[in-house]
Amino acid sequence: MLKLGRCVHLLARCTNQTSSFARTLASGGTDITKPFRQIRDGLSWTIPKDLQNSDRPPGEVDVLIIGGGAMGSSIAYFLKAARKAGVSVAVVERDSGYSMSSTVLSVGSIRQQFSTPENIYMSMYSAQFIKNVQEHLQVEGSDPPDLQFNDQGYLFLATKDKEHILHENHIIQKNCGAKVELMTQNQLKKRFPWMNTDNVTLGSYGLENEGWLDPWSLLKSFKEKAIDLGAKYYNAEVTGFNVVDDDAKPIDPTQFAPNGRRLNSVMVSMINSPEVVEVKSSYVVLTAGAWSGQLGKLLGIGTGPKEENLHMPIPVEPRKRYVYFFHCPEGPGLECPLLIDPSGSYVRREGFGGNYLCGKSPNECDEPSCEDLNVNYDFFDTEIWPNLAHRIPVMEKLKVKSAWAGYYDYNCLDQNAIIGSHPAYGNFLMATGFSGHGIQQSPAVGKLVSEKILAGEFQTIDVSKFGFERCITETPVLERCVI
Amino acid sequence: MLTLLSVSISTIVLINVKKWNWNALFVALAMMTFLSITTVNNSGSASWSFLSHSLAVDSLSAPLIILSCWLAPLCFLAQNVVKGNSSSLQNGFLALTCSIIFFLLLTFSSLNILSFFICFEATLIPTLVLITRWGANVERLQAGTYFLFYTLFGSLPLLVSIVLISQTTSTLMIPISEIVTLQGNTFFSINIWWIITIVAFLVKMPVYGFHLWLPKAHVEAPVAGSMILAAILLKLGGYGIIRMNAYFPDVTTLSAILTVICCWGTLITSILCTRQTDLKALIAYSSVGHMSLVAAGTIVFSDWTISGAIMLMIAHGLVSSALFALANILYERTHTRNIFITRGFKMITVLLPFWWLISCAANLGLPPLPNLIGELYIITGIISWSIFLAPILGVATVFGAIYSLLIYQNTNTQSIVLSSMSFNEISPREHILILFHLLPLLSIIVAPNSCMVWSN
Repeated sequence: MLKLGRCVHLLARCTNQTSSFARTLASGGTDITKPFRQIRDGLSWTIPKDLQNSDRPPGEVDVLIIGGGAMGSSIAYFLKAARKAGVSVAVVERDSGYSMSSTVLSVGSIRQQFSTPENIYMSMYSAQFIKNVQEHLQVEGSDPPDLQFNDQGYLFLATKDKEHILHENHIIQKNCGAKVELMTQNQLKKRFPWMNTDNVTLGSYGLENEGWLDPWSLLKSFKEKAIDLGAKYYNAEVTGFNVVDDDAKPIDPTQFAPNGRRLNSVMVSMINSPEVVEVKSSYVVLTAGAWSGQLGKLLGIGTGPKEENLHMPIPVEPRKRYVYFFHCPEGPGLECPLLIDPSGSYVRREGFGGNYLCGKSPNECDEPSCEDLNVNYDFFDTEIWPNLAHRIPVMEKLKVKSAWAGYYDYNCLDQNAIIGSHPAYGNFLMATGFSGHGIQQSPAVGKLVSEKILAGEFQTIDVSKFGFERCITETPVLERCVI
Repeated sequence: MLTLLSVSISTIVLINVKKWNWNALFVALAMMTFLSITTVNNSGSASWSFLSHSLAVDSLSAPLIILSCWLAPLCFLAQNVVKGNSSSLQNGFLALTCSIIFFLLLTFSSLNILSFFICFEATLIPTLVLITRWGANVERLQAGTYFLFYTLFGSLPLLVSIVLISQTTSTLMIPISEIVTLQGNTFFSINIWWIITIVAFLVKMPVYGFHLWLPKAHVEAPVAGSMILAAILLKLGGYGIIRMNAYFPDVTTLSAILTVICCWGTLITSILCTRQTDLKALIAYSSVGHMSLVAAGTIVFSDWTISGAIMLMIAHGLVSSALFALANILYERTHTRNIFITRGFKMITVLLPFWWLISCAANLGLPPLPNLIGELYIITGIISWSIFLAPILGVATVFGAIYSLLIYQNTNTQSIVLSSMSFNEISPREHILILFHLLPLLSIIVAPNSCMVWSN
């Protein structure tokens, strides 16, 4: 009955709210968006203030998204953008500054030059979205988002022995409708005179919808629009799951059919506090990036019995990649695409002051440790600079200004995305394992996952090839153009 | 009548039997239900039976008393487990629900207007505690506030009116109300007197302008609370209007305006229903629509409309409660009330689509179920009173059919998300729950006089 007293007390405070809208107007307040929102969420003034701005997730939510990076925010946006559905969305992100998130540390590039049609379609959809981002993601009362999308294209170079791969991929890309063209050595020499085309026989150049953008702006735009539409972000960490398995029937594991087991609720623990909130949700979407494999283990994926398809873990682990920012005074100008050397190094222009970004994926045996995000400058000197200098002679003279490291959410199986639900837990969806090409697929993945939740199937692009089932049967869907 | 009340009091006492709380209560309430059926009056007139000093039953209150007794054990069947581990919390829930039912019985059988009012108000506090303590979401506090203050402010004028009636007629006995005619001093005062009497019931029913509390309270209440709210507490309004209208035979202008408002309210709420995303809110708005129709019928106050109102109240009580119970069956399994997520259960839940179909068909007014009889009687009466309301009520009925079928289509026949469909089978308890909601509907078809006749 003590609770009854508290309830009555809260009720008294409910009715005691004075309108802060009037106060904002009267004081000539500078925040002009707040009154818009207060008018739009008409009944919010009757909810007590401490319940309105609650940091704690609610006890119940329709869709809980784990991880608030580009993928999570994109899914939150698309779920809320389907306004007719009225789904309640909560995003749980433990790093409010996004200091280790792959999204903000990425080079932020987008290309259609893949070898899997689904990847090509997803990038094309995302490119269309990004070109029209101002009509999709503008929040009333603030400036339209500016993603600084430079569509200078990608240029893949191939030596004689790898030419056929480029040819085959080119056919697939043309069939999907991507705008790419193959260039011979002479064409390359004429088009890019600053490039040394010694052992390069073929180049594949993206003409449209390829380039780079600012990933932090993309994340921010998605997040702000999702919050404006009603999604809620919580600075907390997921530490456990509760599963309901009454009536769990043994099933034929090859059928991938549901078996009575259900993810009931998620234990969310608040940052810097011993408090743990149990959030019951109808769907849980895992977009935790590099830490998805770890979170899967919390759910028992990887440690369970084979009969329930729980023996394979989510094959996503963090892999550290370095990005170096250097200044080359005589380097190529506006026409510089994102150049990918046959050795695997890539370089692109950054801004207009002769600055460039470059990087390279190390060999399997030389993977740096992922304990921290410290940069190894020797890697640049030994692995990247020689290739750069060979390919672009003026880049012999350059000065490394700074560098950073970020994690790839590396899919150990085939470096392609894992999108779909887990066979054992029907309401547990995953969108992870993008292995370096996540940013460019984030709008498409958001749309597809929201379709999966609201319509039951993928409608825009059929990405069932990227489901988790291939991880269980260990049949990789290999992508040939991995950077 | 006395036996009925003594049994109901004994059920509250039985709560302290710690071991078999829920089941014992269920048995006791079931016994009470069977006792209550003896109040059915088939003689076809408005005479009072079971007459005592202050409690009696006539052909208006008998069906409502049977309805409240019938729903009591069904609530406990639906809400099998309640939040809170301590036994005092469980007992608290049981005690609150039993007290609501006890006061409801008193309300429907009281012969004195003041005791009717006191019991009418007394049902508010336990319902409020039920919503705010055992509701699921944080919005339940706002829901409780809206519920309490809407109904409270509506019934304050009613108290004033009762005092006025007792001053002018020096009696508060309901059976005498037919002989007494109130006269106002000026042209407007009788209208105002009527309005302050009626507004409490209009808020309770609710009619469209005063309905804001209902979607909130129904959605946030636990399932037992939703069932009692939808089934019986709303009918208090209809019962009150029918009783009090006997004092005011001459209010023509205001009653015309109110009838039109109620008819438009039916239309608007039916259209609103097609756009709801929350399943429980959809069913709540459908309650508003049906009750607005009942309110229109009771204000027009002809033989046909009153009979239709009583019939529709009973039928709607059973059907609405069944729909809330069905929505809760799905909610317990998917933890969401969003109709875009709880969809396509036809292949997954065994036999449940059958109950869904009958409930949705009853909601839209399928012959020969009593919902249709009630609606037809009311609509016929209103149209004979004014032909211009015919298109409004016609379109409202069509939209009623649209959203009822929408409920059925979305929860059952929509495309399913196969991978997320894994949950517990429907237990026999839940099947019995819905069956016993729908059985009385079928029995009313063959004995309509039990719910219909009430002539001055």
